[in-house]
Amino acid sequence: MRKHTVKQKLTQSIIFLILLVMAVSFLYPIFFMGINSFKTKSEYRKGPFALPQSLDVNNYYLLIRNFKILDAFLNTFIIAICSVLVSVLLAVFASYAFAKLRFKGRTFVYLFIISTMFIPAQVTMIPLYYMMSNIHLNNTLISVIIAYVATSLPGTILLMTTSFSGISDEMIEAATIDGAGYFKIVRKVVVPMGMAVIAINIIFNFLGASNDLFTPMILIQKMEKRTVMVALASLMNARGGDPAYQLAGLTFSALPPLLVYIVFSRFIVKGITVGSIK
Amino acid sequence: MLNSYPSRLKRRMARQGWLSVIPALLVILAVRGYPLVFGFIKSFTDWTGIGSGNNVGFANYVRILTGSEFWTLLRNTLIFLAFIPIQLIIGLLVAVLLYEEVWGWRFFRVVFYIPQIISALVIGYLFSIFFGYNGPINRILTEIGLGALKSEWLGNTVSAVAIIIFCLVWINIGWQAMLGLGGLASVSPSVFEAAEIDGAGFWRRFFYVTLPMLGRTIEYSCVISVIWVFTGIFPYIFSMTKGGPGYDTTTIDYMIYLQSFGSVSKPGYASALAMILLVIVLIFTVIQMRLSNKANDWED
Repeated sequence: MRKHTVKQKLTQSIIFLILLVMAVSFLYPIFFMGINSFKTKSEYRKGPFALPQSLDVNNYYLLIRNFKILDAFLNTFIIAICSVLVSVLLAVFASYAFAKLRFKGRTFVYLFIISTMFIPAQVTMIPLYYMMSNIHLNNTLISVIIAYVATSLPGTILLMTTSFSGISDEMIEAATIDGAGYFKIVRKVVVPMGMAVIAINIIFNFLGASNDLFTPMILIQKMEKRTVMVALASLMNARGGDPAYQLAGLTFSALPPLLVYIVFSRFIVKGITVGSIK
Repeated sequence: MLNSYPSRLKRRMARQGWLSVIPALLVILAVRGYPLVFGFIKSFTDWTGIGSGNNVGFANYVRILTGSEFWTLLRNTLIFLAFIPIQLIIGLLVAVLLYEEVWGWRFFRVVFYIPQIISALVIGYLFSIFFGYNGPINRILTEIGLGALKSEWLGNTVSAVAIIIFCLVWINIGWQAMLGLGGLASVSPSVFEAAEIDGAGFWRRFFYVTLPMLGRTIEYSCVISVIWVFTGIFPYIFSMTKGGPGYDTTTIDYMIYLQSFGSVSKPGYASALAMILLVIVLIFTVIQMRLSNKANDWED
């Protein structure tokens, strides 16, 4: 279709150059963060733009040994995995019912659940904090998991219900005639058919849970229970004099989401255009 | 067809339906519904977090709405909204460039979305290091002989606000470009070709053809972004300015945090502030729903 005239080739080259310059503006800060994490305090002071003289991993060593950052990673990982699994499990059953089962009050319950999506986390956080203290769940990973399950459910149910509605009734009826019960239909028909949306929700809820600061900062005060983001906040407050060390902390905390993104980028990009998630 | 089921099966379906939604419903009622009602009740008290507090009627609301503090917070948020038009123009321009599908466009699309993937806190701290007094920006200024311009960028109201707005644009360009690409995909290419054949230049085509065709995408992005400024920029403020200097970059949600978990503990007052924030967000949500209903009408 497209004619490759000289003028068109020129336009294409200009567009490519503009996009390339923009890409550099997005990648350079991350590159900066990465190279300086391998420097000592004085090496950073001498030349923050230079490449590190050697791949000195001392900052990372200190983060792991003195700052116990791996414990924080473990906490974050437990919170993210558990909240995502529980939320997806509850959402699959609820969405199947909203999409395929007819029962009284269905629309009302659906709209009620979806409407809680618009309540900002800050609005319910104060009471939630006192509620968790009253039932002695403050300072536990479970409190944060419960909070994430509740905040991620409405969005997850919205996307899954939309997706499950597209499964044909005939398929479910055929499975019923074959003698499949409720759980078998969910497992053998609904989950495989809705796998794309389920996967998108798993990835986004996982990223959301591991990148969040507000909820764990409020619900957890104990050092040994803190998440990566809470630990990072205290690192940044305490070690203002050593930017190289701080940058190592930032690089370390940015790595897991970046790895997830690199592995699933194609999938994630598709998910954004479909779900327009923010 | 579903009505043709015998009533025994219908009853079973109803039972299955309720059993499927009850776990999710209970979690939401306990963790979102109950705290909301609790916070609403506490917003009429002088509760300090201990005991149950005395009923003070509308005193918290009156104090918030008649004091100067709330209007400062609202003003700050309204100033931050300036990032939206900038994000729209740059983001949609990027979408138009990506739409040309030049060599490597898929890679660029992935790169531009990176700020949405990395934690907001990490990005905020990265900005605070870049614009810190001993940071790279002041370093460059010194090296090129403009050492006189060296300053504590985030410690000065005007530059702090400008840097926050710059940061909000930077992180959202990729998001906006993705939405723009989605919008462009639904427009027939012949529209753009026709405009090109008519001899309209690039900027003319962008402002008079592309932007009007993306009306719905723009409406959607605007409303979502407005809600986001009211509820989503907490980690950026927390990591870059801590609301300062003074209260000049404090937003409503940051103030809720300060009033309930900061040095002062006035959760009753903070609850009233939270209810006001909820009303603001709900107003914009209704606008958003109206717009998307209108959009659906167009489709029919």
